[in-house]
Amino acid sequence: MTSVTTRAGGTTLHTGTRVGRAIARLTPVLAIALLATACSGGSSAGVRITDPWARTSPLVAGAGAAYMVIENTGSAADALLGGTSDIAKAVEVHETVDMSSAAPIASDMPKASTDMGGVASPAASSGMTGGSVMGMQKIDRLDIPAGGKVELKPGSYHIMLIGLTRELVAGERIEIMLKFEKAGDVKVTAEVRAK
Amino acid sequence: MALVCVAVAILAAACGAGGGSGRNAWPTPVFVEAVTQAPLGNRETAYVPPRSAPALRLTDQDGRPFDLAGMRGSPVFVYFGYTHCPDVCPTTLADLRAGIKQAGVAAKVVFVTIDPARDDAAAMKQYVDYYQAGYTGLTGTAPQIAEAAAAWGVSYKQLPSDSASGYAMAHSTDAYLLDADGQLRHHIFFGAGADLIAKLLTEVAGP
Repeated sequence: MTSVTTRAGGTTLHTGTRVGRAIARLTPVLAIALLATACSGGSSAGVRITDPWARTSPLVAGAGAAYMVIENTGSAADALLGGTSDIAKAVEVHETVDMSSAAPIASDMPKASTDMGGVASPAASSGMTGGSVMGMQKIDRLDIPAGGKVELKPGSYHIMLIGLTRELVAGERIEIMLKFEKAGDVKVTAEVRAK
Repeated sequence: MALVCVAVAILAAACGAGGGSGRNAWPTPVFVEAVTQAPLGNRETAYVPPRSAPALRLTDQDGRPFDLAGMRGSPVFVYFGYTHCPDVCPTTLADLRAGIKQAGVAAKVVFVTIDPARDDAAAMKQYVDYYQAGYTGLTGTAPQIAEAAAAWGVSYKQLPSDSASGYAMAHSTDAYLLDADGQLRHHIFFGAGADLIAKLLTEVAGP
């Protein structure tokens, strides 16, 4: 529905005639009707984004992180591929992974799950107990099955806002254009939070 | 099993009493897993009994020599991370700030970089100042950081990266809570959250 609204809302007719005003009123309806017709032929694509937020981030960090829940409302599998934003030079999808099982950390990044499990792997040489070792990797696509959803949250998947053009300040709203394989470009307005 | 743990603990305590300053003086592992409680989940482990914290002598964000021993008198959280860490480190540092505020205890936070190649004193200063919470940021030479991390049981490694953000570091993500006497009391796992941090800090600070 988001894309429908955008398309209809983007159509403006400036005319003083009575017929023109009638057309203007009808345009959104026509657009919806046309789009619905276009979509009815095949599988529909769509995503619903809820609770998007980005963490306050100092410039020295070089990057910020944004989180949200993405639900695939379409009838086919979709995937988040990346995005763009005015506040960052690059937008990527990253995953924080638990690498505790690989102690000492192997040179090859294991494809670990994000299960932290509170497992403490002893750092025997020091007599101290090492806990979970976590790393991070870029992922080229985040698959979201039809009707499924994925939560982007701290310690898991997140949107990386790389090369911030300015500091993120709590309370402000930033725009990120996410790119999906099927649903295309979806604009997200994320609130910046200090947490 | 419990008897073995106690025996090890006693032995280690005995050894620890005469322990010197170097990390080689650290005794045999003495660690008794304990205190795992619902509903907060397995997010921390207590040091039972408490033990002296390893030494931590590095350079602070103002370029001055820092010695953890100088922080006696208030509880201290020690956490190893890096400034280019966009997810785990800021989550933990924000949780610590919220937990300390919630507990209403004057605790200190020491953030030690495991990425000295990028995190010089100036970078650490920008980073800790951003939190406006009186955090101390520590850096040093690569060998100094390696020695400190080893003493604290912290693992870290630079990861290969195809990201525009450059390389990421894999690192231990736990925070250590020391009491006002410099004794290690709790080992707090990533994701503990402000509530658990506040609870542990309140307990450690005492009445």
